[in-house]
Amino acid sequence: MVNSSKSALGIIFPNSYDALVPELVNVRLMASIPFGSRYRLIDFILSSMANCDIDNVSVMVNNNYHSLMDHLDSGREWDLVRKNGGLHIFPPFAEKSSKPFVGRVGALASILDFLRDQKEKYVVIADTNVIVNFDFRDMIKTHIETGADVTVVYNEQELPESLLKSTSNDKGFYYTLNIEDGRVTRMFVNAREPGVQNFAMNIFLIDRELLIDLVNTAFVHGQEYFERDILLPRLNKLNVQAYKYEGYVARISDMKSYFDENMKLLDDYNLDALFSGAPIYTKIRDDNPTRYIDGAKVQNVMVADGCIIEGEVENSILFRGVKVAKGAKVKNCILMQDTTVEAGADAEYLITDKNVTISAGKEMKGTDSFPVYIGKFQTV
Amino acid sequence: MAKEMIAMLLAGGQGSRLYALTEKLAKPAVPFGGKYRIIDFPLSNCVNSGIDTVGILTQYQPLVLNEYIGNGQPWDLDRLYGGVHVLPPYQKASGSDWYKGTANAIYQNISFIERYDPKYVIILSGDQICKQDYSDFLKFHKEKDAEFSVAVMEVPWEEASRFGLMVADENDKITEFQEKPKNPKSNLASMGIYIFNWDILKKYLEEDEADPNSENDFGNNIIPNLLRDNRRMYAYHFNGYWKDVGTISSLWEANMEVLDPEHSGINLFDEDWKIYSRNSGMTGHKISAGATVENSMITDGCRIKGSVKHSILFAGVKVEKGAVIEDAVVMGGTVIKAGAVVKHCIVAENVTIGENAVVGAMPSEDEKGVATIGANVTIGANAKIGPNAMVNKNVEGGEEQW
Repeated sequence: MVNSSKSALGIIFPNSYDALVPELVNVRLMASIPFGSRYRLIDFILSSMANCDIDNVSVMVNNNYHSLMDHLDSGREWDLVRKNGGLHIFPPFAEKSSKPFVGRVGALASILDFLRDQKEKYVVIADTNVIVNFDFRDMIKTHIETGADVTVVYNEQELPESLLKSTSNDKGFYYTLNIEDGRVTRMFVNAREPGVQNFAMNIFLIDRELLIDLVNTAFVHGQEYFERDILLPRLNKLNVQAYKYEGYVARISDMKSYFDENMKLLDDYNLDALFSGAPIYTKIRDDNPTRYIDGAKVQNVMVADGCIIEGEVENSILFRGVKVAKGAKVKNCILMQDTTVEAGADAEYLITDKNVTISAGKEMKGTDSFPVYIGKFQTV
Repeated sequence: MAKEMIAMLLAGGQGSRLYALTEKLAKPAVPFGGKYRIIDFPLSNCVNSGIDTVGILTQYQPLVLNEYIGNGQPWDLDRLYGGVHVLPPYQKASGSDWYKGTANAIYQNISFIERYDPKYVIILSGDQICKQDYSDFLKFHKEKDAEFSVAVMEVPWEEASRFGLMVADENDKITEFQEKPKNPKSNLASMGIYIFNWDILKKYLEEDEADPNSENDFGNNIIPNLLRDNRRMYAYHFNGYWKDVGTISSLWEANMEVLDPEHSGINLFDEDWKIYSRNSGMTGHKISAGATVENSMITDGCRIKGSVKHSILFAGVKVEKGAVIEDAVVMGGTVIKAGAVVKHCIVAENVTIGENAVVGAMPSEDEKGVATIGANVTIGANAKIGPNAMVNKNVEGGEEQW
């Protein structure tokens, strides 16, 4: 089987929704935000693709992407080093007149020649702020069975408060769906409806030839957004099918949800729901196992390798290489890679970025509703 | 293009003194230190020392080892020219032979070595835990203008007669070799790590092969022959951590020493000398409310709801509520059910210890054994496994084994 009719290539938009978490994307982009003690957000969708034989994946980086290049490297950890396909990273093609892409259309238009050269029948498009362990095989099967032109993935959930309360559209667009007999009949942009909605997860499946055609047309008309400018006006003409996802979904829509979705993994039920399917791959750091030294007290924590724990840690997520010294207290915190909490320090409701130091004896506390974020390389 | 030095790693040993642990596993593939296998140490030493070509000589139960090594990528040994190669015995036009001894294993792979045209060959052993800079050893070898060098450790005089000993003069020149002598003249124990000039090694391997009475062994044949001919032989003093983990008790002890790097000298937290391994790919480990973890090492995929004290848990170990673990080495994928008590023992991979079962015991005056449970074994609920037991078959619920 070189390329069967069931085959799809993947396109990931790692910068989508950067504006939702401005602090975290100061030195990176959405896709490389650390999550769940040893992962980055892109690991989930990228592993999902790799696990479903989608082994020709293009990552359309836009800005702040050095951290992502470092993380993905050759794509080897996801088994995406291939002669045919494999991982491609497409930065904007720098010309005199070029600007970073606004929506998906410009980015897709820039790789139309590449897309024309590919052999896969379908294209899967996805963002990285929706964390899922997704089975694309079932989606492709359903797409074929329903004779869809486009399949749109959604889940049933209430809109996050940050979106409901937003008074502007400057954080980007999100979409809710009206569905009749499985077909999307209407799409709403930035709805503010309370209650459970059919909330699009920004995962699409579309015929490659159709995508090329649609993007080409949209681009010459100066249109920018795939959903708003291509799908929404064509809901009558195209068979746009809705695919309901019932698995575990973690959405990052602001700092609070970033904090909450990490913390939810402390519940085994949620952890198993996200990880019990196919494996999620990530960059390997070759840390040694975590060491708990006499005096350590730990309750309800998730900890990656390479940590040294001598103090007290409770209800927290610790990434690789975190050090908690003797007498230090860490409660309700997310401590990213190589954070150091020195002796006697007291940390509560913090999100510390990479290489943060909480100095000896210092007290630093956020609250349940407002966890305090401390930027990369900062010393408190 | 010639390589300056390549490594040949002897990994064919059965490790029969590890009993249940090596029934289906070559000794170098035995898990160690929470996320490693023994062979990770020599392989990481090689790549950290700048050696990019390693031949691994396998013979006994090689499946797990072969799969583990794969293309060598975890150790950065997937190279266009060189890299890691697994070298099992193979059939030749003139017939085929198992590796008859350590020297014969190298002899049978002379053509492999010649592909790289090396000036030096380092012979390594796949059953030791050691962090060693082989480039420093090579520097010594060159400075002495040696034809053969052996890494030696000073051991206590009262234990010296257990080792192969090198008697050396004040310039480290070896004058005599004693294999496990009753009356040791030296306390410099051979670590079984040798650097040869390739031309010398090849000459002596061929000569050794031609001798029908030879055991084809480095210690028993090659080294005595070199001495006989007054070759330039030197002893390189190594004073870092080194441990032969060929027995259950030494394997257990070495694991426990990992928990105390400040005193034992085996520091796995060394950024400048990382030990690489193939990754489990599991999530971070979890310690639930109500669990206790003291002075232990825990890695990805573990779920701890019980009590863990002074122990090493490998990837994916589950410790249920009320279970108690102390002074134990618990290898990957093992499940310890509620109320089970697991002490002073080695539990291999994918074992299930049933509810309220008891495995091993803390050492007392007359019992100091390290209970050992082989891979894939199920210990039934309420079963009791004594401190000297070596279990390689399922034990039914309520049964006792001593």
